[in-house]
Amino acid sequence: MKSKNHPLLGIHSLLVMIFIYLPIAFIIAYSFNSSRLAADWSGFTFEWYVSLFSNRRVMEALSNTLIVALVSTVFSTLLGTMAAIAIRKVGRRSKAGIGGLLYLPIIIPDIIMGLSLLVLFTQFHIPLGKLTIIIAHITFSISYVYVIVTTRLTGMGGQLEEAAQDLGADAWQTFRHVTLPQIMPGIISGAIIAFTMSLDDFMVSFFVSGPSSTTLPIYIYGQVKRGISPEINALCTLLILVSVTLIFLAQFVLNRGKGQKKRSVLPF
Amino acid sequence: MYLLRIHSILQLIIDVRKRGDKELKKMKWAGLALAAAMVLTVLSGCGSSKETLNIYSWADNFDADVLAAFEKEYDVKINYDVFANNEDLLAKIKAGGSGYDLIQPSDYMVATMIKQDLLAPLNKDNIPNFANIADTYKNPSFDPDNKYSVVYTSGVTGIAYNTKYVKDEIDSWEDLWNPEYKGKVILLDDNREVIGMALKKAGKSNSSTDEGEITAAVEDLKNLLPSVLAFDTDNIKQKMIQEEGWIATVWSGDASVIVKDNPDVAYVVPKEGGTIWSDNYAIPKGAKHQELAEKFINFMLDPENSATNYESIGYSDPNTKAHEFHSEEYNNDKMINLSEDELSRTEWLQDVGDKLQVYDRFWTELKSGRE
Amino acid sequence: MKKSSMGLLPVLLWLSLFLVVPMLIVVGISFMSRDDLGNVVFHFNLDAYATFFDPLYLGIYWDTIVLSIVTTALCLLLSYPLAYYIANAGPKMQTWGLALITVPFWINFLIRTYAWVLLLRTQGVVNNLLLDLGFIQEPLQMLYTKGAVLLGMVYTFIPFMVLPIYVALEQMDKKLLEAASDLGATGWKSFWHITLPQTKSGIMTGSVLVYVSTTGMFVVTDILGGAKSAMISNIIQSQFLGARNWPFGSALSVIFVITSLILIALFNKAMTSRHMTAKEGR
Repeated sequence: MKSKNHPLLGIHSLLVMIFIYLPIAFIIAYSFNSSRLAADWSGFTFEWYVSLFSNRRVMEALSNTLIVALVSTVFSTLLGTMAAIAIRKVGRRSKAGIGGLLYLPIIIPDIIMGLSLLVLFTQFHIPLGKLTIIIAHITFSISYVYVIVTTRLTGMGGQLEEAAQDLGADAWQTFRHVTLPQIMPGIISGAIIAFTMSLDDFMVSFFVSGPSSTTLPIYIYGQVKRGISPEINALCTLLILVSVTLIFLAQFVLNRGKGQKKRSVLPF
Repeated sequence: MYLLRIHSILQLIIDVRKRGDKELKKMKWAGLALAAAMVLTVLSGCGSSKETLNIYSWADNFDADVLAAFEKEYDVKINYDVFANNEDLLAKIKAGGSGYDLIQPSDYMVATMIKQDLLAPLNKDNIPNFANIADTYKNPSFDPDNKYSVVYTSGVTGIAYNTKYVKDEIDSWEDLWNPEYKGKVILLDDNREVIGMALKKAGKSNSSTDEGEITAAVEDLKNLLPSVLAFDTDNIKQKMIQEEGWIATVWSGDASVIVKDNPDVAYVVPKEGGTIWSDNYAIPKGAKHQELAEKFINFMLDPENSATNYESIGYSDPNTKAHEFHSEEYNNDKMINLSEDELSRTEWLQDVGDKLQVYDRFWTELKSGRE
Repeated sequence: MKKSSMGLLPVLLWLSLFLVVPMLIVVGISFMSRDDLGNVVFHFNLDAYATFFDPLYLGIYWDTIVLSIVTTALCLLLSYPLAYYIANAGPKMQTWGLALITVPFWINFLIRTYAWVLLLRTQGVVNNLLLDLGFIQEPLQMLYTKGAVLLGMVYTFIPFMVLPIYVALEQMDKKLLEAASDLGATGWKSFWHITLPQTKSGIMTGSVLVYVSTTGMFVVTDILGGAKSAMISNIIQSQFLGARNWPFGSALSVIFVITSLILIALFNKAMTSRHMTAKEGR
């Protein structure tokens, strides 16, 4: 496929990428810095990587964070996508109302969401822990998935679906063979944002967490008072490394499996 | 294990690409299996037969080895979660059902929590080592008979300044207003601390409830604002070490950390006196393991454990019996071990009741640079 | 509800339970008052709302809105060309482009923001570089300024703009572009009349996400702005925590949510009324 990109576009994109990666490069560099307070460069060390793996609390926080992010992403993607598809069939008036409701979780200040859910959970004697964090994350993530899938559906129009139904496909077949493949990039993008939001959420998680459900952001915010340990930089470096490697591997496996036609990992 | 999970998600995504019937069916099962696996992981890990002590405190507030020693001696598991400030802690404890056995609120927060009936009275029979605490830290004004709290560490707000840039002798809060330091002054990001400082400068109580006095202090602070580089509580250390700021209101314990990384920095408790604060042990009402929490407090107050712990975290140790077990370096640190003279000039922050709204309104005004 | 819209049921149930109920409590609290300890007292009044009209708080809210709009505009300017580039690249490049944009944001937000502090401080890398190159004689004070806050906001929310625009661009009917160029339309012309209108839904979604997230952000102003300017979310936060004035915090939140919804609706209307395409008319 011939790329139709203007060279100026390429330069712009490169500059934006540099902007995005500038701080990341620093995080990686400082993960090898022997200074505890990350004030100055005071020598190269692997110390933080070594102590990271023996730090039970960081590892626990990492595992909690990943569990919460994965579970809440799966459920919110499901619910958000269902909502985006179903809302098209609703009358104009209720559409505005329900659409507004679906925007609410994004708009509501985090602290309100955190505190009000905390009150709700304690009133109903639901023990605070990973489960309550997951419920809270699903609640705000639904919106992100919903808006992005809606973006895709808006651009899609209904002609294809109508055509499929005219040709005798039932509702499920139409959905599976026409709608779903069409909106998949929206679903994946929504899921990515949901996952990202969950990974990074501090405020909501903080209020609805309980004993032994500390997530990484809670751990890191707590550390600010003493100065964030370079162990966290080391952890971030590893996370980037693992993510990029996984994407690379998946792409590699896929391309080999599919032979002639190159495919991309994410169905964009 | 997580790598596996991430991989299976990717695999799912890949499956979707194929869009065939068979794959879709497979994907459905894979999805179900994945969801089931996740739910199981979430539900598991709750069952540990050992008794658990749930501690809720500031990050890195204890030496890990001392915690491990306690776990071993009492055959229990310690669960140590963190909060970032007193207000977050209050919101969490107030809602109830937080599940924590031991918390570490600061002085004024102990007072608030007592008033709100959130703390359980301590059974001193379980804490014989309470006797080791220095008299200065016993029976503080916020909890007169130590009925609900035991001091953990303490410090005083003073001035830290870099002698490379600040050539004059610093001994008064007034010095922050010196126009030579314009743009290089850092203040604590805390309404009570900063307005309290200005009140002290004027010779008033740091917890004044007289609106006239408060207004005068705020007017005075408005003259200081153009000099302020930043308001900061947590990262003031880095800012002073890196010489971004020349002069700052700093807690004594933090000053000790700064001086270790930048020997040009000096610390002084101004002649008008400063605010003294403390972090304390307390037990929330309804804690499931109150006795264990008390045993923990007692364990930490053991002279040797105490020395190991405070030596490692670098905070001031209120334990008089621990003195002989501390290193010379620790005992000689003037910022960790403040003199009687310095301590005599200090004042605790009192709860100002409804006037908190006045402080808050003025603080918002100061920080937003609006009238 | 018709059978076809049954898909909304689970979401509506979920949101009613975990969003609507708590929100109603917040609305209720906003009409109450507080005692000296900060406990909410059941005494109906509108004081909390009246307090908002203090010029101090109005001004802070106005500043927040302006900063959020500027952030959104900058994000759009930076992101659209990037999204365009990725959408028009080969499939392999597309995957990598999106992955490279997303992965950095899996790093904790605080850590990323502190990295900017390392870069921008007076003895930081940027200043040292400029000094070495002789562009400046004295280190620049870049941190703790409004510019630093803006930079931090734009940086934080770029992916929120790139992803939706990409989603819209990737789906665009490229045959239209070909037809246009066959008819002699120049690059800019066909971009303006074909590409831009077709990607409006992406721009709209991205802008809403960035705008709303910026208004809700307060940590950036603390870390990069030196806590010298307050955003409305800083105020809401401090009313619930430090100041212990839940009624006022709740009232601020209610006002905040309502004005945001109105702004989104207005923006939505402005976007759909111009260049309305047949597809979107449904």
